[in-house]
Amino acid sequence: MASSPIETIEEEFKGEPADLIPVLQKVQSVYGYLPQDALSRISRWLKISENEIYGVATFYAQFHFTPRGKHHLRVCLGTACHVKGGEQMIEVVKRRLELNPGETTKDGKYDLERVACLGCCALAPVFTLDTKIYAQMSVLKLQGILDEQK
Amino acid sequence: MPSSLNREVTVTEKLSRSKEIQTFKMEIDHRTVSFPEGATVLRVAELNNVYIPSLCSHKDLSPFGGCRMCIVEIEGMRGYPLACSTIAEEGMKILTDTATLRDMRKEILQLILSEHPSSCLVCGESEECKQYQYTIRKTGVSTGCRYCPNDNQCELQNVVERIGLAEITYPVYYRGYEAEHDDPFFDRDYNVCILCGRCVRMCQELRGTSILSFKYRGPKVQIGPSFGKNHVEAGCEFCGACVSVCPTGALADKSSKWDGKPDGIEISTCPFCSIGCQIDLHHKGGRLSKVYPNLDSEINDGQLCVRGRFSLPEATHYHERAKKPMLRRGKYFREVTWPEAQTEVVSKLKGLKKDEFLMVVSGDLTNESLYAAQKFVRHCLGSDSIDSTARLSLPGGLGLWSKLFSLPISIKGIAEADSIIAVGLDSRFYFSVVGVQIRRALKKGADLVTIDARDSNLARYTDHWLRPRPGAEGMLLSFMAQRLGGKKGSLKSISKQAGLDEDRLKKAIESLDKGENLAVIISPTVFEYGDNTALVDAIFQLAKRKDTIFVPLYHGSNVRGSIELGAFGELLPGGAKSKKQGISLADVMKKQKRPKVIYLVGQAPFQERPDCDYLISQDIYYPPFPVDAFLPAASFAEAGGTLTNIEGRVQELVKIENLPDGAVTGFVRPDWKIFSELGQQLDSEDLQFKNEEEILREIHETIPGFPARPDRQPRLLKATSDLTIEKRDHSPVGTGEMLLVVEPAGFQHRGIDLSYVVEGLKELAIERGLRLHPDDLAKRGLAAGEEVSLIVDGKQLIVTTKADSECPVGVAYLSHPVNFGGLSDCKGLELLYGLESSPIRVSIGAVESNRY
Repeated sequence: MASSPIETIEEEFKGEPADLIPVLQKVQSVYGYLPQDALSRISRWLKISENEIYGVATFYAQFHFTPRGKHHLRVCLGTACHVKGGEQMIEVVKRRLELNPGETTKDGKYDLERVACLGCCALAPVFTLDTKIYAQMSVLKLQGILDEQK
Repeated sequence: MPSSLNREVTVTEKLSRSKEIQTFKMEIDHRTVSFPEGATVLRVAELNNVYIPSLCSHKDLSPFGGCRMCIVEIEGMRGYPLACSTIAEEGMKILTDTATLRDMRKEILQLILSEHPSSCLVCGESEECKQYQYTIRKTGVSTGCRYCPNDNQCELQNVVERIGLAEITYPVYYRGYEAEHDDPFFDRDYNVCILCGRCVRMCQELRGTSILSFKYRGPKVQIGPSFGKNHVEAGCEFCGACVSVCPTGALADKSSKWDGKPDGIEISTCPFCSIGCQIDLHHKGGRLSKVYPNLDSEINDGQLCVRGRFSLPEATHYHERAKKPMLRRGKYFREVTWPEAQTEVVSKLKGLKKDEFLMVVSGDLTNESLYAAQKFVRHCLGSDSIDSTARLSLPGGLGLWSKLFSLPISIKGIAEADSIIAVGLDSRFYFSVVGVQIRRALKKGADLVTIDARDSNLARYTDHWLRPRPGAEGMLLSFMAQRLGGKKGSLKSISKQAGLDEDRLKKAIESLDKGENLAVIISPTVFEYGDNTALVDAIFQLAKRKDTIFVPLYHGSNVRGSIELGAFGELLPGGAKSKKQGISLADVMKKQKRPKVIYLVGQAPFQERPDCDYLISQDIYYPPFPVDAFLPAASFAEAGGTLTNIEGRVQELVKIENLPDGAVTGFVRPDWKIFSELGQQLDSEDLQFKNEEEILREIHETIPGFPARPDRQPRLLKATSDLTIEKRDHSPVGTGEMLLVVEPAGFQHRGIDLSYVVEGLKELAIERGLRLHPDDLAKRGLAAGEEVSLIVDGKQLIVTTKADSECPVGVAYLSHPVNFGGLSDCKGLELLYGLESSPIRVSIGAVESNRY
């Protein structure tokens, strides 16, 4: 068996405590989330306790501890998007995919996230599927996008 | 020992030189004050008795600036800087109590309290309500009045009072967390937590354990271990440092949670190990309620371990505590009066020949009781048959240890060292305070080299973890000692012999070589090895080096006192060798001699009744086998006295429980008093002690250098040259695929194993079971918690396995107890005493099913 993903990551860094966040990002990009085993391994390697790492990782919204879906759905609920009806987008996804924000569907296909602002308020309300941004969304448009996915 | 004495002087001089403090001047509230370099404004105010409120600062922790209560006005500085994170400078002008500051503090405090249930703080009905408050509750309820275990002893209440806050104008937000009761020793209710972070920083910065951390963000911030684990799963060492620094009632000792404000606090000495930490004993209604660490700067400085912090009340008040004199009458074991018991015991002791008696004393007795015991045996009975189980804690013999005690030993010296070697030490559950001192040194930039086959908490702090094969620690230390002494030696061959990486060893030696003040710390397990020649050589080689301090660790709280006071057959008080030699404990253990009467004082080093006609036990618990007479001794809280710690400080135990004799309180007597009264009945005029002070004075007159009253000055012991050092040379023998390391168990006090009487220690089960690496278990198809058969030296032992990823692969660890009080689950472990060699080769297999 080839070396495990973490071993590969270990080779890329010096192994100093300051490397923690880049290491966590790397691990998440490989696994899609931060598995508990990986954290205890990082803990031994960087000499930071697992509890401290957990504290750091829970501080940032970018880290997750449960497997993510294959596709990431993100609905913006920043001020502009909220005013323009972003909440309704969430409702659509919730009902259609039986998915609450922060969760992953049972088949592991989608996960849903509500975000505070995507930085393109002129396009409100904004919805993103993986890296693609959909502007000036409506409930109907969103239904269409989800239909296409199937 | 003039040379050693001189050395001690140079060490202290050096320490004080390095601490030479320059003082500066500044103005606080128009008053000129002086302060040492590097102090924060808050610390300067504290030192000069100026009150600045603060909820998150702590003298041992780095500035945090979390609570914002300590805002001050400083001339020339913009805004309102924090006193806790501003370093004081020459000529600063500071105001601590202006109208603006008062208003702002009130506002900040209100914000803090908007997330803290505050009926205990600002309720208008609190005075009238008091008469209705005495409702008994069994659990920590978080609503209503008197819900908080910290009521009336709360820092937050104090601050509210000082600030004069009478109402909270913000809506109170209740977090609604479930109170956590799932761990031993302390409960947690994070609804009353104010997130000051003292516990988190204590755990991370000073203890180095990092069990606690801040989790999540913003209003959801919570304190605790990762992934919702409980503290046991997270690997907490239960030192209680978090509980001690908590300004609120969020963290509370389980055993004394609802005791309320104590009647009084006495400073005493922890009776559980040789470090001799100073403790604050809280007492209520004449009973010991809880123990907090004392801020004594000489030894523990506000830190303790699980034993000292949490185990004392339970060990003293356990329901099986024996408090009445008992005698065997036919097949019954009956309660009797003291005179009846004394008369019978005296009649058995009278007219005994020299070889018909043995007294075994514990190394946990006070100096006074040890002195009285040996005098009782030598003067009243005219025998030499006294032995101490302290011997079991002193591998290498009394000769070696009396030499070791003549070296400069210093606990707080560790914090001042710039290079440290720790051999075989894991300071989580044993000698925690030593671990804290190491961390203090590391903070100041010291280099730490740990030599340990097993992973330890210290190994995690250091870049220089040398992991030799078990048993090679002494050899490695000896090599390093030679190298540091300027001699050459082959790195290659030693690395190969010890199973080490050559480069790693080289780097470790280089890092030590830079240091001027070396501290050498050696754990009891390493002394226990069958091969100690190299280790002993290494220690005395290092002792020649200038400014080296040693911390040779052993279990038992007054083992050093036992040597000084001559509680051994071959050793007289003061260290002279006795010409006569009676029966020893080893004779009885090996069944070579059979005394008629055995008198066990504070110790039960047998699993079964030793062979004799009449067996007397004098202890705080019944031994695990039938005895003929039982004399109830006073526990540490019920008798005064002194203990000699590892450094030779003679420290005081304070008597706080002084309840009159009775059916419930019992009829306990201090050990020395029991001897004294027996002595009088034996018509001896030598033993007429009335109190502890009198005995201490007599010890002072008999033993040169022993203080006449409690004296916390470290002393060097005059090494006895009459006793030889037992050098042993037993390399691993036996057959089998695994290496077994036998460790001395430390969780004992007098006749009892603490893991039996203290519920929390029982749950942690630190010294139970055969610890193996999970890979070793998997390889054999064994599961953790399974009973296995261990073949040691041709004999079979049935033990339960425990998975421990800190063990090296191929090595198993097993603790052997010295005491068997209550230890039904340690059957067969006595055979480990007789082992000449550790580590030893053993084989592990499944238990044959037909053994029943």
